[in-house]
Amino acid sequence: MIRQDARGPIESLTVPLIESPTMLTSAAATTSGNAAEGDVSTVLVVDDEPTARLALAARLKRLGYRVIQAGDGKAGLEALRREQPSLTILDWMMPEMDGPSFCEYVRQDPELQTSQILMMTSHDQPEQIAEGLARGADDFLSKAASKHEITARVQAGIRAATLVRRLRDATEEIRQKQEALEKELQSAARYVESLLPPPGAILPGVQMVHVYRPSLALGGDLFNIVPWSDDFLGLYLLDASGHGVSPALRSSSFATFLRRDSLLRHVGSNDPGAILTEANKQFPLTESGHYFTIVFASLDLRCHSLSYATAGHGGVLLHRRSGEVCWMAQPNLPLGFDSSTTYVTVTLPIGPGDRLYLLSDGLYEFPAASGELWGKSRLEKTIQALGQQPLETVITETIAEAVRWQGHEQFPDDVALMGVEVAI
Amino acid sequence: MSQDRVFSFDEALARVDDDRETFQMMIELFMEHGPKDLMEAQSALDAGNAPGVARSSHKLKGAILQFCAPAALHACKELEESAKAGNLANGAQLYATLEQEVQRLLVALRQVYDKGIAA
Repeated sequence: MIRQDARGPIESLTVPLIESPTMLTSAAATTSGNAAEGDVSTVLVVDDEPTARLALAARLKRLGYRVIQAGDGKAGLEALRREQPSLTILDWMMPEMDGPSFCEYVRQDPELQTSQILMMTSHDQPEQIAEGLARGADDFLSKAASKHEITARVQAGIRAATLVRRLRDATEEIRQKQEALEKELQSAARYVESLLPPPGAILPGVQMVHVYRPSLALGGDLFNIVPWSDDFLGLYLLDASGHGVSPALRSSSFATFLRRDSLLRHVGSNDPGAILTEANKQFPLTESGHYFTIVFASLDLRCHSLSYATAGHGGVLLHRRSGEVCWMAQPNLPLGFDSSTTYVTVTLPIGPGDRLYLLSDGLYEFPAASGELWGKSRLEKTIQALGQQPLETVITETIAEAVRWQGHEQFPDDVALMGVEVAI
Repeated sequence: MSQDRVFSFDEALARVDDDRETFQMMIELFMEHGPKDLMEAQSALDAGNAPGVARSSHKLKGAILQFCAPAALHACKELEESAKAGNLANGAQLYATLEQEVQRLLVALRQVYDKGIAA
């Protein structure tokens, strides 16, 4: 009864498959059209009624589409997964799995979500249309539709599928670029960490503990020590404005300037104010307006004194053994804004058990879920409450308290905290 | 009743863009599957299975639509809608009408087929 010769445009469409729905899943036996052309859109027709399916498939083929057919919903799902067609034209009422159930399966599968579904139906009641849309159909086509309407709706479905797939591809491209960028940032963060001093005894009688938590975007926080002599120590914590690899590199460059030999050559002094005054000239604002904030401190163990200078940096805190806590920030400009700025050194006495904390603004300028910032006051109270517990405990618990406040581990900006305790 | 009153050859052919080869295959398919669908509808009717009657008549309707056969289409819709409503009280009568119209359509299509359609 059925011709199966190899002539003409539709021999390969459906005829051999009518008898066995399982055969419909064979791509070789069910596809037609010029599948070799890379830009030909593929349309899957799922209908258990072979005459209507043949008529529609033939029309789609004449329109230039590659056509795959399936005789029931299950075979249609297999073909959809295998061929990833741009458009699926689906009958509503079918045995085994009806059209709406087919749609629900498709919409639950992330791999299939870009395929547009055009539901064929004689159900044209608004509530039935609503059901079809709610269960995952993109559009409807009446079985009695004119050939012009069929053509227009198919073309609209293909256009939508093309847009959805372009969006998916663009999203994937962005994701890959983001992944590459994050790898670069992680690599830069590891480099910054390699520049940090090892914790422990940095001078006889002076203990140092620190934590560095780079943000996902990587800021420009960096801290280190400058060992001037056996009883004289420089300490600094700097923050390059901006996020990404660029501020990390600028901080690295600044750290080179702050090395002992460099300071002796460029400044000729270990005075914190003199160092920042010279740094202000060496590191002007960048073309894009980026700058540094910094605190530089010197510990003179012989004279039991702490000298320091700051440039736009508020993160320096002295916690006396007596329990007194004072912020030591000076109201002045960050580096680079005005080359004539002179930064002033302040000197304080320091005694056994006193602790100096240098920290980045990332440790207090971060919000809780409510949006309320943690702030300097809470940070100060936290450190004060921890009292004279071991320095390492104070550092660890302060970070833990900050994490509890914001409700998650990842800080929005770099967090750096260096604590130094004078034991003698 | 003449062939043209049972179904519109020109209209049906236009629905497939005057693709005579496709149209001939559609007739072949319907001549094979139409009677099977009718039998399924009758079996469901005999079993008092209204959803089964609705499914079979719905499937048959999809094929009849392709041939622009108004009387067969009307009879098919009547049976399908009645079955969907769960009402098989007039099922035998509706089925008889449908069977008669489908048989007439099959005869008319056979005539066209035997004359030869493909150019």
